[in-house]
Amino acid sequence: MDLNPPPGENYGHPRICLFHVLFKGAALAFYILSALFVNSFVIIFVVTVLLAALDFWVVKNVSGRILVGLRWWNEIDEDGESVWKFECLDQESMARINKKDSWLFWWTLYLTAVVWIFFAIFSLVRLQADYLLVVGVCLTLSIANIVGFTKCRKDAKKQLQAFATQTLATRFQSTIQSAFSVV
Amino acid sequence: MSYSDTIPLHPSSQSDIDEIENLINSNPTSVLPARPPSPPRASIPISSTPPPPPAFIPSNLPPPAIHKPTPVPSVIPTVPAVAAPKPPLPPSHGSSSSGNIGVTGFGSAPNTLTEPVWDTVKRDLSRIVSNLKLVVFPNPYREDPGKALRDWDLWGPFFFIVFLGLTLSWSASVKKSEVFAVAFALLAAGAVILTLNVLLLGGHIIFFQSLSLLGYCLFPLDVGALICMLKDNVIIKLVVVAVTLAWSSWAAYPFMSTAVNPGRKALALYPVLLMYVSVGFLIIAID
Repeated sequence: MDLNPPPGENYGHPRICLFHVLFKGAALAFYILSALFVNSFVIIFVVTVLLAALDFWVVKNVSGRILVGLRWWNEIDEDGESVWKFECLDQESMARINKKDSWLFWWTLYLTAVVWIFFAIFSLVRLQADYLLVVGVCLTLSIANIVGFTKCRKDAKKQLQAFATQTLATRFQSTIQSAFSVV
Repeated sequence: MSYSDTIPLHPSSQSDIDEIENLINSNPTSVLPARPPSPPRASIPISSTPPPPPAFIPSNLPPPAIHKPTPVPSVIPTVPAVAAPKPPLPPSHGSSSSGNIGVTGFGSAPNTLTEPVWDTVKRDLSRIVSNLKLVVFPNPYREDPGKALRDWDLWGPFFFIVFLGLTLSWSASVKKSEVFAVAFALLAAGAVILTLNVLLLGGHIIFFQSLSLLGYCLFPLDVGALICMLKDNVIIKLVVVAVTLAWSSWAAYPFMSTAVNPGRKALALYPVLLMYVSVGFLIIAID
């Protein structure tokens, strides 16, 4: 992954990209600036965690689907067992994903987690347990999304490979068959 | 074509050939010659529509969970591969199985890309309300409690815990921030520990399902805390807290008790009761 956005094309879904970044940025900005302006810890906590939760929802349900074509969720089946499902778009649509969109998606995802980790260390050093709580919750949400989408992407790659080999195998088979039937 | 070669010529062969031609002309898709159909192209769900609504390929190949009705019908057109052999790829039900909305911590993904965000929000809100009704309110038609909270979500518990913390914090005249932080941490950590307790007792419960359940069962205590914040009389507080405490425990009882084997029911339920009692004390003691 490089530091600069891929040149050439524009963003495919600018509004979605905006929302993807908006809540993350708002949570971080509020957390940083609130210490200067807001006196009450409760408000800092509630607003920051609420923004982080909204960001989690947006990334999981909206920008993940639209920007990179990945989706993950949890289901409880008939036996009461918990099953994690990972889905990806089919190959043609995956090839058409806007490169800039996906660059932005992954970079902001990882970057916010790194920033929250930094804040966690900061508040740990200062021994502020309550701020650590806020940062802990936001970090958990970011990491959950990262883990989910990374697993999804790995799964998608495996899927595409399996699809490709299977397609080759069946085409080969059908070619052989048609060759024999003509004879 | 090889097909005509296999039919022996007969005096009435012309009528046979006419018959065959009629068959072919009337139902072009289902009559296939001896050559095998082309499997891979036919089974890709989106190859026939331009621009295709992208279909999701499920990663495992489970049969779609039938108990969840799909709000939107599948948009993938069924490819005329009726006579084709079972396609090697997951069938074009990719969209409908993705339409069985998976349950997630903070909401589920819609099954079509064109579903507006407002629809998703509405669906998630209605799920919160239905979960609440299922868990907290008396319901004679409730099915097996272990299965009842299958659509777990964590939004409801999140709101209830934050609301309880805020109410306690508002009621407190001093140290508001500490009260909030303590209440939140207590409830969150308490839910996690209670779930671990059930799991360690050899019970069968899903981690997030249990967290979700314990969060929803806080609703009566939320109501109680609100009333106590508005009315400052000690007697009223005691009565209200006792009633809401009993209600919370009653709501949590069926789920927790069915999760463990009968000999260990008390061991699983006692900590739950303890946590709700301690929250009740917090509510009474705040002034």
